[in-house]
Amino acid sequence: MTNMLNTGVSGLNAAQVALNTVGNNITNTNTPGYSRQVVLQSEQIAPSNGRYTIGSGVNVVSVQREYSAYLSQAAWNSNAGLQGATTYNNLATTLNSSLAASGNLQGALDGFYAASSAVANAPASASNRTALLGSAGALVSVFNTFAQQLSAQQGQLNSQINGTVSSINSAINNLAGVNQQIRQTTGGAQSNALLDQRDALANTLSGYLGVNAVTESDGTMSVYASNGQALVSGNHGYPLTVGGDPYDATRSDVFDSSGNNISGRVSGGTLGALLGYRSQVLDVTQNQLGQAAVALATSVNTQQAKGLDLNGQQGAPIFGVPAPTVLPATGNQGNASVNVGISDVSQLTAGDYKLSFDGSQWKLQTNAGQNVALTTQANGTLTADGLSFSVSGTAQAGDSYQIQPTRNAAAGLSVSLSNASGIAAAAALKVSASAGNSGTARAAAASVLDPTNPALLGAATVSFTSPGAYQITDAGGTVLASGAYTAGQPIAANGWSVTVSGTPAAGDSFSVAANNNGLNDNSNALALAGLADAGVLQGGHTSVINAYASLTTQIGNVGSQARSNLTTQTSLNAQAVSAQQSVSGVNLDQEAADMVRFQQAYQASAQVISASQTIFASLLSAVQTA
Amino acid sequence: MRLSTSWMYQQSTNTMLNQQSALAVTQNQVSTGQRINVASDDPGGAGQLVSLDHILAANTQYSSNINSANTRLASEQSTLSSVRNLYDSVRSIAIQGINGTLSSSDRAGMATQLGQLRDQLVQLANTPDSNGNALFAGTSTTTAPFVTDASGAVSYSGNDATLMAAAGAGLRIPTSDAGSAVFMAIPAGNGTFTASAAAGNTGSLLVGANSVTDPAAWNTGNAGSGGGYTISFAAGGQWTAADAHGNPVLGTGGVAVGGTYQDGGSISFNGMSISLSGAPVAGDQVSVQAGGSQDIFSTLSNMISALQGNGSPTQLANTLSRQIESLDQSATTVTSTEVAIGGRLNTLSQQQDTYQSLSVTYQAAQSDIKNVDPYTAISNLSTQSAALQASQQVFAQMKSMTLFNYIK
Repeated sequence: MTNMLNTGVSGLNAAQVALNTVGNNITNTNTPGYSRQVVLQSEQIAPSNGRYTIGSGVNVVSVQREYSAYLSQAAWNSNAGLQGATTYNNLATTLNSSLAASGNLQGALDGFYAASSAVANAPASASNRTALLGSAGALVSVFNTFAQQLSAQQGQLNSQINGTVSSINSAINNLAGVNQQIRQTTGGAQSNALLDQRDALANTLSGYLGVNAVTESDGTMSVYASNGQALVSGNHGYPLTVGGDPYDATRSDVFDSSGNNISGRVSGGTLGALLGYRSQVLDVTQNQLGQAAVALATSVNTQQAKGLDLNGQQGAPIFGVPAPTVLPATGNQGNASVNVGISDVSQLTAGDYKLSFDGSQWKLQTNAGQNVALTTQANGTLTADGLSFSVSGTAQAGDSYQIQPTRNAAAGLSVSLSNASGIAAAAALKVSASAGNSGTARAAAASVLDPTNPALLGAATVSFTSPGAYQITDAGGTVLASGAYTAGQPIAANGWSVTVSGTPAAGDSFSVAANNNGLNDNSNALALAGLADAGVLQGGHTSVINAYASLTTQIGNVGSQARSNLTTQTSLNAQAVSAQQSVSGVNLDQEAADMVRFQQAYQASAQVISASQTIFASLLSAVQTA
Repeated sequence: MRLSTSWMYQQSTNTMLNQQSALAVTQNQVSTGQRINVASDDPGGAGQLVSLDHILAANTQYSSNINSANTRLASEQSTLSSVRNLYDSVRSIAIQGINGTLSSSDRAGMATQLGQLRDQLVQLANTPDSNGNALFAGTSTTTAPFVTDASGAVSYSGNDATLMAAAGAGLRIPTSDAGSAVFMAIPAGNGTFTASAAAGNTGSLLVGANSVTDPAAWNTGNAGSGGGYTISFAAGGQWTAADAHGNPVLGTGGVAVGGTYQDGGSISFNGMSISLSGAPVAGDQVSVQAGGSQDIFSTLSNMISALQGNGSPTQLANTLSRQIESLDQSATTVTSTEVAIGGRLNTLSQQQDTYQSLSVTYQAAQSDIKNVDPYTAISNLSTQSAALQASQQVFAQMKSMTLFNYIK
């Protein structure tokens, strides 16, 4: 009788626990990280009376989490991929919108070249010249606007890195705390809620930087970053810090708890996407835009210098462009200062460099770590990749400098010519044959090879001492050059060259002088307009507009790849989460059925007690009747 | 497979969100008509668009260069045609001067007329283009390259260069002709030499048409002559020729050239021929001057001073004949300049046509890349909105599908 009562009570208890668990499941349906709980029951073992054994009810062994370590780990990993792809896609979308919103650089470039053509069509027209300066201003503002958008994104990245690292650190600390609590309850039943919290924190951390989580035997979780660096071990957290880049204090880098710069080594999650986007996309885009700005400024300014303006002066630069940026490392010991100039635009790359001193020699490396050979010039400067380096002061071994040849060029591009009559539309030099020439030699227009030659505009005479030999003399009669004459071969002196064809007679001569009587000439303006299609970059194969077209394609590719990667990562994450949820998630229909089941079990157990009571009452009344 | 309820809801929400964003993209395409709104919509296409836009901009610019070149060349052409008409007037006056028996007042009137024509010619030669620069100043900034001094001589202060227009990549077309070539550097005489009667001739000898008949013989003869010949007449029309060094001109076989001139005959040696008329007296001379040049303004001045002077009719006729030869050289120069301008205008108009048809082609390519196909876009729009509606209906159904509804 007592047995039966006890059995009934154990059933009631078990059904109650089960119903409570169902209730808990139902109320936590939408709790992130919650794992469905089930009641583990077992039959109570009763002593045998020798002949038979009657069971004595049910035992509630435990309330367990429905959980698969493998599926959870897969879900965390896919979360790292998803968060990374989301962050990357957001950044790439911003970049694409900036490109679309910054004005049309191609239109502005063509506007500038068209204005040069208009000057060529009417070289003396003041309004055309003013319009050319205006279009140069419009072009500069398109470069500046886009460059400002890019540096704004650099700033945004710095604060995003800061924010992400502080979120990572709070997750690290929380996890260490949870680990501590888990350790304290070790030995007894581990709290399902604590384990759920622990897993949720692992998932969060994985989303931030892609982690490897290992569950220890005591239930605590150790977490390692993708580069193997421990973030949490037991109840110890190893938080990350944000600090300035060794070369550029305004740029946020990430350091581990022992102070190592790990910016280049974090690859997963939000932080990995932020750092990867910054070094692989944003820096490169800024450099390439700057490269286009340098190409524009150099090609236009060089052509300007090859002509004469309305005042008969050699053309002054139209565009101002900042020199390459040199950033000394914070730990440099010496007092050397490095000056970097651009010596050859066609060799210029879009990369950054590290210049370092080993105590005897300077070494140049790309940011990716590849060595670049330095050539020592006669004047002591070093050159490589279109750059020239001159060092003053004394460097100590281990000193290094970061060189950013074009990073700030687009932001700093400006119009330096203010007077429209300063536009050099006319050719610099005029070649004229002497009146007494009796041979058939004809001289083509002089072309300027080196506009920086101080004697460029000085008068000179090319005379033929015999039909096969020439000499060039200046106004004072000094012989500047002489040699054998071959028809069609350029003859050069003072930074210009002239091509003579035909057969000269001995005594024939041509004079080369500043084109001061030809200031309505438009040949230099035509050459300026012709720069639209002139190859300037990449060994002289790529025009400024082509460089912009490939930059557009490249930015577009970053955007579309980020988008398709996000789609992929989203569906991978959906698969992983849905697999994990198929084990750990709460299904309300199932819980409803369980509720009905356990309700019925409770009612049945209550009936057992009631039956037991009825039996007992029957017995009592039988006894009373007797 | 077991499904978690909250995941089920989340997935169905995600589906609707994705469909909405796809629908928004299509809506944007339909409303803007453009397939590429940011570069990532089609990176390759976006890059190609930059190149195509650049080519179209270059075409537009070349077309506008051609228009501006056309304007300049057209004004040059019409100026030159006025110049040609002016030369015709000069020529008819000069011919009148040779033929007629003129009174001194007739001569003076003709001189005045020619003087006016000369002033008009200076003005034509200083014609400005549409930007106010002189058409015939070369590349000089001067607005009046031709200046008449007190003595009536005209000097040129422009230069010999020509302005160019870019009619295409690497295609430069001259849009001007330097005044020095059109008006100043005109070959003297018949273009090769000038045959003129000596000023001191006393006979009635008139030098008529003269030309090179055998260029090779002329060149050989001229090379050793020192720049010209002098033909001297003796009594009875006997003539001999000496070169500029004073040596007798030798013909075939080393025999000195010479002969007897008869009225209306001609004298030929060393590849040239000179028609003469009238009668020389002993001591009269005809000089042959090779090369040289004479500007058109000097030609007019020479005519004027001959008409104003009191030379004999024979002297006047000889002088005017020589100046008419120079005038004809000038007219030839003007005509050939006009022909060259016509050729340039032709090239420009062909280029213009090319750019127009190229622009159509490039615009078509541009539109293929940039513009959305409206049929596809609208059909996508309706497919996508139908799909979104279906998802919404599924969601509405899902909400009532729970066991809790049945176990009340």
